[in-house]
Amino acid sequence: MKPEQCTEVVRKMEVAMKCCAMMEKPQKTQEEQQSSTQMAAPDGGWGWVVVGSLFVSSALVFGLIRCLGVFFVEFVQYFGESAQAVSWITSIGLAMQQLMSPIGTAASNVYGTRPVVMMGGFLSGLGFILASQATSLLHLYLTMGFISGLGWALVFTPTVASVMQYFTMRRSLAIGLGFTGVGLASFAFSPLFQYLVEVYAWRGALLVLGGLSFNMIACGALIRPLGKPKVVLKTENLTKLNKCSSLLSRIFECFELSLLSHRGFLTYAVAITFFNAGYFIPYIHLVAHSRHIGFTEYQAAFVISVTGVADIVGRVASGWFSDLGKIRMPHMLVVWTGLLGLSLMLIPVAVVYSGLIVISVVYGFCAGAMTPLAFAVLPEIVGIGRVLGALGLLQLIESVGGLLGAPLSGWLKDCTGSYTVSFIAAGSFLVLGMLVTMSLPYFWSCTAPPLPSPSKRKSQDGSIEDGLLKQTLSLNSVPENLCPLDDTPYLDKELEK
Amino acid sequence: SEYLLLLTQAKELPAQARRLCKINDGSLHAQLLEDLHLSETTPSPQSDPVITTRKVVSKGQNQVTIEELAILKPQTIELSCYLTDIPNNPPYLTGYWTKDGKGIVNSEETVNRTNEQYILKKTFDILAKDLGNYSCIFKEIQTQVTFVLDVPVIKDKRDKPIVSYTGDSVVLACKLKQTPNTWNWYKANNTEKGLINVTANPLNYKIFIHGNETKLTVLNLTEEDSGKYICSAEFDIKPSESYIELKVLSYIEPLKPFIAIVLEVIVLVTLIFLWEKCNKPQNDNISAGENELCSEQISKLTRDDSNGVENNTARQRKLEH
Repeated sequence: MKPEQCTEVVRKMEVAMKCCAMMEKPQKTQEEQQSSTQMAAPDGGWGWVVVGSLFVSSALVFGLIRCLGVFFVEFVQYFGESAQAVSWITSIGLAMQQLMSPIGTAASNVYGTRPVVMMGGFLSGLGFILASQATSLLHLYLTMGFISGLGWALVFTPTVASVMQYFTMRRSLAIGLGFTGVGLASFAFSPLFQYLVEVYAWRGALLVLGGLSFNMIACGALIRPLGKPKVVLKTENLTKLNKCSSLLSRIFECFELSLLSHRGFLTYAVAITFFNAGYFIPYIHLVAHSRHIGFTEYQAAFVISVTGVADIVGRVASGWFSDLGKIRMPHMLVVWTGLLGLSLMLIPVAVVYSGLIVISVVYGFCAGAMTPLAFAVLPEIVGIGRVLGALGLLQLIESVGGLLGAPLSGWLKDCTGSYTVSFIAAGSFLVLGMLVTMSLPYFWSCTAPPLPSPSKRKSQDGSIEDGLLKQTLSLNSVPENLCPLDDTPYLDKELEK
Repeated sequence: SEYLLLLTQAKELPAQARRLCKINDGSLHAQLLEDLHLSETTPSPQSDPVITTRKVVSKGQNQVTIEELAILKPQTIELSCYLTDIPNNPPYLTGYWTKDGKGIVNSEETVNRTNEQYILKKTFDILAKDLGNYSCIFKEIQTQVTFVLDVPVIKDKRDKPIVSYTGDSVVLACKLKQTPNTWNWYKANNTEKGLINVTANPLNYKIFIHGNETKLTVLNLTEEDSGKYICSAEFDIKPSESYIELKVLSYIEPLKPFIAIVLEVIVLVTLIFLWEKCNKPQNDNISAGENELCSEQISKLTRDDSNGVENNTARQRKLEH
């Protein structure tokens, strides 16, 4: 070869490489999206808007549920049923929210979180609108219980998963901030619901609440997708390679059932079930217990308010502190749950009003501190790629704890005549859960665990570092596949020389 | 003696007959009437002197005690005030009675000390007009005990009106601790009270009475059904009443805020999607532009290259040849 031709070739190569480099950028983002849907975790920017969406959603789901007591008095009077029959409405709603969570996450895996959350917001509102026309308690069970419960399931879990995908460094703080919606809504909704019932009676109030629930549609619209939903990508790739994707394997995919064989996930699910069994008991029994000891209605209500405020503060403080990274998240979780269990067991000991206030503040703070960590530690265990399905399955499994915990404590109270034993049982559930958490894989190491190994299929699983690695690999492979200049064998020969 | 005979005969006659009986002699007439009056007022042995007693013990001085008594039927009641723990233990105290703040004439009494206690009692005949606040007041030590005599009061008064909708039904309830003879419901139009008759209006009203509670169900509500409803517990002495206010709304009322909220949601969602669409094409345009530029350059280079290749192969062929 002549030297002029050589330089000519080198010049052309440089131009080609530059061009390919420019073309790689859009290709790169496609690769990013293919490797893991959260890779572009902005950790800020639009992520805070999604946190705001979680704030409003959790307010309209759990804040709403907590304040439904105002309606129950009206239902008892209008339908002439017992208070227990009416309380089934909340039980059915909560049970649906937890049991249908996997369906919510599976649908998000197929269609993306945005349409699922919007549909969920619509269903929650629809349930309340239909409930306003109810003529029997059964209608209320079906509308407020089943339909709205299903709507709540479709809203809550995918929104939490989206926040987790949008953040990595400040995940706990984001989730903590998002959950403060629940506490603030409990304060604001109580007088609001009372006012609505007084002005419009329960039918009109339910209609207005249905409209309010429609706001969750707007919250869903705010969740911009970070990439294509997982199952869509997988089926795309599969169709490229081999066209056999049977229905069963697709269901397996959507619901992330592979997690059931993941030791870390199962351990954590058991721990969370124990937590759930003990967590809600004070919310149910604290007022009754205060009145039982002899405090007035007003004093008991004040205890609950103080607990609520401590809860909100605890959420934000714990989220901020755990993001500092000084202590590993599972360790922090163990600390908070241990303290929570202890404070629960000490509640019966407090007989003086000031003592009860102090213990309740500690309880509220620890309960709030535990919540964002319980969610934020999940990606560390199963990897961010599978967090959507993991959340759904976790809610399903933990519902067992919630369904068993409350009746058990009620039964204990009926047996022994006071709330002491039920509080001690609740505390011991939490301590038990704490011990189970300590048996998580990689718990005892001082540094973050190695990333969960990517699945055998493609590079869709795995956390951020995995994705980055694959991205650099794909960078080198791109010129071979996509740069059109490579079609010429002439250039290859020159490079080899 | 004739006179005495008439008197005895007159006493045996029922009261109404006695009044109608006339005696021609003017003076005897007046005397007889007077004697008859006296005979009417002295309690005959058959009338029952069942006297209920109520007693309140007050300790110390400068005390004000209030006791509520539910009176169901006309009765004679003896109210007693027992005072103990009076400092200095004076040998006697003066006490008097008041009704509704006004002193009762000739009720002032001197109460002697008996075993460290001072007891003041008075018997009252209570009819409907006699219900009120009776107080025994001790002047020297400023101690007062008030007995509130009234029909049982229906306690759960709702100060906010009950709201319902046209075509719907509503239940109004009243409850008491004591059981009245019967319950009656009235609807108040300004100052008039109209009794609610279920037999006349079986389609619109249902009344349920069970001892000490009652429920009025109003069906097929219309806007005219709004207003004050009075439940009246009938006792021998006087009825006890309580009112509930009912407001009937049309369905349009709650629809207004509902539609406002739904419109707000639609506007928000549209804005969010529009904003996203506006931001997206900018990014697409930039990358599209780059792509076009790139593909132009690359196609130029490939043309050059393919020319080059052809030249080379041509040269090679030439060389071979």
